[in-house]
Amino acid sequence: MKPSPFEYCQPKTIEEAFAALNHEDAKIIAGGQSLVPMMNFRLVQPGRLVDINSLPGLGEIVLDGGTIRIGSLVRHAEAARHDLMRNHLPIIAEAMAHVAHVAIRNRGTIGGSLVHADPSAEWPLLVTLLDGQIEIAGPEGLRHAAPEEFFVAPLVTTIEDDEILVAVRLPILSPGTGMAFTEIAQRAGDFAVVAAAATVLMDRGVIAEVRLALGGAGDVPVRLFEVEAALAGQRPEAIDSITPGCADGLEPNEDMHATAEYRRSLIPVLARRALEAAVLRAGATR
Amino acid sequence: MNDAAIPKDIRSAPAPETSRPKYIGERVQRLEDPRLLTGTGRYTADIRFDRMVHLAFVRSDQAHARILGIDTDDAATFPGVIAVLTAQDFSEIPDLVAPSRMKNYHPTHCPVLARDTVRYVGEPVAVVVASDRYLAEDAANAVVVDYEPLGASSDPAAALLGDAVLLHDEVPGNLVLERSFATGDAGSAIAGAAHVVEGRFRLRRKSPMAMEPRAYVADYDRGRDALTLYGATQIPGVVRDELAKLLDIAGNRIRVIAPDVGGGFGGKGSLYPEEIIVAALARRLARPVKYVSDRLEDLTSTSQGFDEYVEARLAFDDDGMFIALEAEVIGDIGAYSIYPWTAALEPVQVASFLPGPYKTPHYRGRVRGVCTPKPPTGPYRGVGRPMAVFALERLVDMAAQKLDMDRAEIRRRNMVQPDEFPHRIGSGIIWNHSGFTECLDAAVKAVDYAGFKARQIAAREQGRWIGLGIGSYAELTGIGSRIAVAPGMPINTGNETATVRIDATGAVIATFATASHGQSLETTLAQIVAEELGVRPQDVQIVQGDTGMTAHGTGTYASRSAVIGGGAAIITTRALLKKVKRVAGRLFDVDPDRVETGDGEIYVPGTNHRIGFDELARAVYSDMATLPLAARETLESQENYDPVLGTTTSSTHIAEVEIDPETLSIRLTRFVVAEDCGRMINPQVVDGQVHGGVVQGIGVALLEELEFDATGQLLSASLADYLIPTSAESPHIEVIHLETVLPDNPGGFRGMGEGGTIGAPAAIANAVADALAHLGIGISELPITPSKLHRLIAAKNLTKDRE
Ligand SMILES: Cc1cc2nc3c(=O)[nH]c(=O)nc-3n(C[C@H](O)[C@H](O)[C@H](O)COP(=O)(O)OP(=O)(O)OC[C@H]3O[C@@H](n4cnc5c(N)ncnc54)[C@H](O)[C@@H]3O)c2cc1C
Repeated sequence: MKPSPFEYCQPKTIEEAFAALNHEDAKIIAGGQSLVPMMNFRLVQPGRLVDINSLPGLGEIVLDGGTIRIGSLVRHAEAARHDLMRNHLPIIAEAMAHVAHVAIRNRGTIGGSLVHADPSAEWPLLVTLLDGQIEIAGPEGLRHAAPEEFFVAPLVTTIEDDEILVAVRLPILSPGTGMAFTEIAQRAGDFAVVAAAATVLMDRGVIAEVRLALGGAGDVPVRLFEVEAALAGQRPEAIDSITPGCADGLEPNEDMHATAEYRRSLIPVLARRALEAAVLRAGATR
Repeated sequence: MNDAAIPKDIRSAPAPETSRPKYIGERVQRLEDPRLLTGTGRYTADIRFDRMVHLAFVRSDQAHARILGIDTDDAATFPGVIAVLTAQDFSEIPDLVAPSRMKNYHPTHCPVLARDTVRYVGEPVAVVVASDRYLAEDAANAVVVDYEPLGASSDPAAALLGDAVLLHDEVPGNLVLERSFATGDAGSAIAGAAHVVEGRFRLRRKSPMAMEPRAYVADYDRGRDALTLYGATQIPGVVRDELAKLLDIAGNRIRVIAPDVGGGFGGKGSLYPEEIIVAALARRLARPVKYVSDRLEDLTSTSQGFDEYVEARLAFDDDGMFIALEAEVIGDIGAYSIYPWTAALEPVQVASFLPGPYKTPHYRGRVRGVCTPKPPTGPYRGVGRPMAVFALERLVDMAAQKLDMDRAEIRRRNMVQPDEFPHRIGSGIIWNHSGFTECLDAAVKAVDYAGFKARQIAAREQGRWIGLGIGSYAELTGIGSRIAVAPGMPINTGNETATVRIDATGAVIATFATASHGQSLETTLAQIVAEELGVRPQDVQIVQGDTGMTAHGTGTYASRSAVIGGGAAIITTRALLKKVKRVAGRLFDVDPDRVETGDGEIYVPGTNHRIGFDELARAVYSDMATLPLAARETLESQENYDPVLGTTTSSTHIAEVEIDPETLSIRLTRFVVAEDCGRMINPQVVDGQVHGGVVQGIGVALLEELEFDATGQLLSASLADYLIPTSAESPHIEVIHLETVLPDNPGGFRGMGEGGTIGAPAAIANAVADALAHLGIGISELPITPSKLHRLIAAKNLTKDRE
């Protein structure tokens, strides 16, 4: 369990980073929490590691208009405790508690999580839920990707080998929006078997705005737009009758720990629990 | 000295009445902790020598295949590579063979590197010697092995079929062993019984999964022709003796040292090809050689545990009294019969412990050990008992359910009662007096068992599923030389020798051939020696795990060290104390019987005669004026202890679980252990052993599973897939200690290192089954996971729909 030989470089500017990435099998390393285990198993054998930890400006969380911009090097633990997140997106801290263990949360980055694109991971689910915008820098300049176009398959995204994910923008939701995250995992800290996240804005006793997304329910995180549409304008009691259909059309994966049917059975349950918790947390009816 | 030969005054007698401080029974802080907890322990991987070389093994990626060719040419040219070696380079080393006189046993031949055939994924095929481990692995990747797949069934039942591919020419029908036990006539008793319950139970294969993977360093002193092997092993004595034979070296030229060892759980309790190769290469290359296995190698090439099917029937009358028990055990032993234990170790004990703490007049048990293309199985904490207890305790619950009888009551009724010891069970094991019913009663009381039914009904009304499960067992520990798992095993595990010495400075050194790897023996053995001699525990240095420093002995496994090592400590220290008193009597000019010791001082009560052990030592060793030559006795004793039979440890575990009806997540909400381990040397250490064992039992019950595909490929080959319980999955564990009747051995100790893992799986399985009783679902396979529960419930609903 030792990696195969590789070169290592630590660019100080984004231009140097692009130059370093211009190599036949270069690979970016951020927190190393997913990459290094794969290297030790020799599942990935990069010829050159480009360590982006010294690049300027990737480690900040700032308010920018109606969005919060999170640099790709922000660690899971930092995101969970940052005031902007706590005040505007408490669901982040709630979800981060389910990501691995303290040591890994101190090293692992949001950018690494998104590019690693595990179908059960928390960040891809959150970014999908919140319609985040993914900012990608390449030799030709900056581009933006929506989660639907970014995540392609398990561990596959549309980012190119010479591109760097620099930040994610998450919207600030209407005041009073309730948010909730819930998951089932084998053990505390394991990747979710299935995870669900929801935001709900109530208006005079009915659901005014709602988002619902799932992780572990397919190859990539999914937004349940149809369920959202069905819930909009309904009283919260409707959650009970609408969520049983949540798994329709989804094809959860099967692995040694969970059959597809078991995953499927969890989907309506977790969807309902996330929605109900979000309703409870939603601010007083306007 | 065996039990019978020990003078009566030393044998079961409590320590003579003295004013000496008592340490046995005290919560003495672990003496090894300051070292181990501050990073100053010294594990095998920490050992470095000049000119040391490193090994990487090329391991088979095929389960059963013929080796057509191995191309090492390219690898040999890699930077840093010193040699790339295959089986032919070790042709002088005989195969590892674990012999036994047992009838119907066929030993296997395990070469140190696969010769013509590989028999499991992970089997070492070639070895690269290089200047560091990175380079060694790079070169190992470049070795090309050409295989011709031979097929073989990874399912033991299929491997027994007539047309199955044979794994070893010398093992007809893949049947490595077959053994039967019978008392009475179980067949007719079952046929005539009022009630019978039956089931087919299965425990999945497990990895012992010590925190520290296996590691070995060998250093050869060419000038002295002396070889030293440092190894993460539980059995340095066994390794030394067999290495001397395999490498054809005199025993006095080879020394095996187990330095600090980070856990074993049985996985470091056998002799491995890798340690033979490390030792052989150090001598051949005349350079220090190091091999530290990684987690992947640990998961594929360290001995694995359990893996058997038990088909069993229990017959009983209208009062719930057991009449007969019958069982067919099939053990999947893997590719080789492991040295020194043989493949009989685990499955045979399933059949021999199956009757449990109950009086069941008729018993018939047959066990077959079958070889399959998987890593060899070996000892794993609990050995045989976890499976036996799981199967039996499920049957007992099923019997109670059938009669609508209370689950504690059916156990109480059938258990050997306090006035019925010794009791011989159907497999021939003899239980001596231990608190069977007392443990059951104590555990039942602690959990408010009487009130549970009402709590369960109330919970179900709220849509919550809760369950309570009992797991009662008895086991033999501290087993002496007359009982061996596999008769004619190449080693005698039944004795220990202690040497206790007072050196010229008055310091006390006690040496044992045990090899603590987490059992706290540096503390508990020091407590015993300190109390018996009259010094403080921290003044006693315990030396163990080093064949160069200790007398003959085998090591630490099978809940033996406290009983046998502790017994040896007592009789040896008492012999030494006699010498101390004789010499001091001479110095003080009083009758030796009037001399007392305590707290590091030697004195005569009521007088001003009082000296330290240092002064006594000076008088004996250094000062030639005080004592006449004849009175200068060497302050050292050495005695051997063999309990001949074993001592019975008993316990009842009770688990409470809550299952989420929607997600089927299983949460342990309560865990109580009531156990009788005789006299406790250190309650804190006993608690720690119980806690650790129960957590491993939680792994057995709910999480851990080595899963192989039909071709023998391991699917759960990392800790992301082989799931071990963490603190988050462990409930608070309450431990109730009972000392019912002390066993008739020197310390009154019973072994308890494995018990946690023995009772927990059964208790948890029964609790899960209880929580699901309203659905009519039983648990017959562990681990049980939410996904498996989902399948069971779906299958049940399907049959219901059909009906
Ligand atoms: C035991 C364990 C348990 C875990 N459990 C969970 C869990 O429950 N949930 C969860 O979400 N995660 C879990 N993880 C993964 C963890 O969250 C990782 O931190 C994360 O997946 C990757 O982040 P990283 O910064 O460590 O990325 P790295 O490992 O450094 O990189 C991962 C991949 O992303 C690429 N990459 C990284 N940063 C960039 C960038 N800015 N631009 C372009 N490419 C980039 C790398 O080239 C690599 O391919 C677990 C990890 C471990 C070891």
